[in-house]
Amino acid sequence: MSTLASEVHVRQWYRDPLSCLQSTLATVLLGAGVEPLPVLGLAWEFLFKPGDVRREEFYYPCRFEGDVARSLAPYHPIRSSWWSPAPGEDPLAELARRVEDGELPVAGVDNYHLPFRPAFRDVHAAHLVVVYAIDRERDEVGVSDAQPPAFRGSIPTEDFLAAWASPNRADAEDAFFSDSEIGRRCLSVEIEGPIAPLDPVRLEAALAENLARFGAGGWSGLAGLRRYLDDLSARAFAGERRPLEELYPFGWGMQAQTYLHGELLREVGADWSFPELAEAGRAVQEVASAWTGLRMTGAHALAAPAAAAAELRRHGNRLRRRYETALERVAQAVESL
Amino acid sequence: MSEWPAAGTGRVVIASANAEAQVAADLPVPLAGHLNNVGVTSRRDTGSGAFNVWGNSFAAEHLPGAGPVVVDGVSFDYPAAGTGEPDNVRCEGQLVEVPPSAYDWLYLLAAAERRAEDEVALHFEDGAVDFETLRISDFWASEAAFGERVAFESPVMHYPRHVQPRVSALQWIQRVPVTRRATLEAIRLPRNVAIHVFALTLRMRPEAGR
Repeated sequence: MSTLASEVHVRQWYRDPLSCLQSTLATVLLGAGVEPLPVLGLAWEFLFKPGDVRREEFYYPCRFEGDVARSLAPYHPIRSSWWSPAPGEDPLAELARRVEDGELPVAGVDNYHLPFRPAFRDVHAAHLVVVYAIDRERDEVGVSDAQPPAFRGSIPTEDFLAAWASPNRADAEDAFFSDSEIGRRCLSVEIEGPIAPLDPVRLEAALAENLARFGAGGWSGLAGLRRYLDDLSARAFAGERRPLEELYPFGWGMQAQTYLHGELLREVGADWSFPELAEAGRAVQEVASAWTGLRMTGAHALAAPAAAAAELRRHGNRLRRRYETALERVAQAVESL
Repeated sequence: MSEWPAAGTGRVVIASANAEAQVAADLPVPLAGHLNNVGVTSRRDTGSGAFNVWGNSFAAEHLPGAGPVVVDGVSFDYPAAGTGEPDNVRCEGQLVEVPPSAYDWLYLLAAAERRAEDEVALHFEDGAVDFETLRISDFWASEAAFGERVAFESPVMHYPRHVQPRVSALQWIQRVPVTRRATLEAIRLPRNVAIHVFALTLRMRPEAGR
C-alpha cells in the first residue's frame, strides 16, 4: 500500500483537554473501526505513583504496569506494550513489518526534530505520533498527529529517526516534557476481542467499579487525592521545585481522563434520555476544569514554589470538592440507570 | 457595520470597530489599573509575550486597536495591545470597582490557558455578596467549551521565537449574570492565573437610572 493510500485510512480525534496519549490511542481505535469516547472515557480514577512521573506529554500513572492502553481502558479487551528495536538492527525493520501487517504503531518522538511541530529546531519535548507508512523508496515515514497543528503526511526518514532516537536532553524552555530519553520507544496496541457497544448495564457496572476505586486508599481514590494535594502544597512550601514540575504532566493525564469520562456521561445521558447521567457528566467536567487552576498555578510557580503554596492548597481544596460533588452525582446517576 | 478583524481567520467574527454602534446600556469598565500580563505581541517582538507558561501570545495584527469595539452587540473598550506593555488582567483575585448602578449582565472578552471555571464575587452597595461562575474556554485552537462565542480569532500563534501558522488563538465573549436586584459596586475577579480578561463591560438593567 502506498503512503498516500495508507493516509486516507488514518483518522484523527482531538479535544482541547487531551494529550497526544489519548489522541494517538483514538487514532488506533478508529483504525479498528472503534469509536474512541466509549472506550477511553469509561474508566475514571485518581492514581498517583510517587517516583513514577516522567517528563513526557504522554505520561500516565498505569494501574497495569507497562500497559497504558489497558490502564486507560480497563473495561475493554485492549492491551499495549512498549518495545524498541534491538541494538544494531535496522531501526525501521520492525516498525515497517508491523505497519505492513496493518498495525498502527505509536512512536515516541522529540518535537525538536519534527518539521510540522511548533517546537521544530526550537524546544525539546517528548511527544507521540502514529506511524502509518514506511516508504523506503521515497525515504519517508508517514505519521499522524492530531494535536494542533494537526498533521498527517510524510516526513523525511532522517527527521523521524532523529526524533525517535532523541535523548530529549534537558531544555530550559520546557521544564515539563524535556530531559526524558525517547530511546526509540514504540507502543503497540492490540484489540484482543470484539468491543461491545455501551449499554446501561455495562455502564452501570463500570461506574460502580469506578466509585469503588475512589474509595480505595494509598495514593489512589479520594484518600490518595487528599494525600497527593497535602504533599504537593507542603513540598512547595518547603521550596521544592520538582513536585511542581511533575504536577503539569501528571495532572494532564488526570485532567484528560476526567474530561473524557465527563464527556461520555454527558453524551450518553443525552442520547439515552437519562438527565441524571448528563448532569453527572457535567459535574465530572467541572473536575477537569478545576485541574486547570491547580496545574497552571504550579506551572507558573517554578521560580518561587514556596510563594505559591497557599494558592496550590486553595486550588487543591477546590479540586477535591469538585471530585466529591461529581462522585455524589455519579452515584445518584447509577441509581437512576 | 463592518466586520472585524481581517478576513482569512476562517471564523465568523462578530465584532465591529464602528464607535457609532456603541450600545447605550453598556458601560465599559476601565481596567488600566489592573493590567498585569502581556498576552498580545507584534510579529517583531513575539518574545515579550507571556499569555501562557510557554510564552505564547496573540498576534496583534489580528486583534482590534485600542478603543471602542462592539462584539456580538456588546460595547467594549479594548486595551492597547502589541506594545510590549501589559494588555490584559491575569486573574489573581483583583477587586475591580465599578460605577454604582443596577446591572443585569457582566460581559467579558477573555481567554484561558486551558479551559477554566472559577468564581467571581459580586459586591453590592447594601453589603450583599453573590458568587457567580465564570467559564472561559481554552485560547489554544479549541472549540467553545461553555457555549461562548468567538470574539477574535488569530489564524497564527505567536511563540517566543517564531510565528506559528495553523495554530489559532482565540478570545471569547462570555457573560455572567447579575441576578440580585441591587446596586453593584465592585467585582472580585477569580484567583486563577489561567484566566485572562482583556475587557469588561456591564450592561445596565433597563430601569437603571430612571
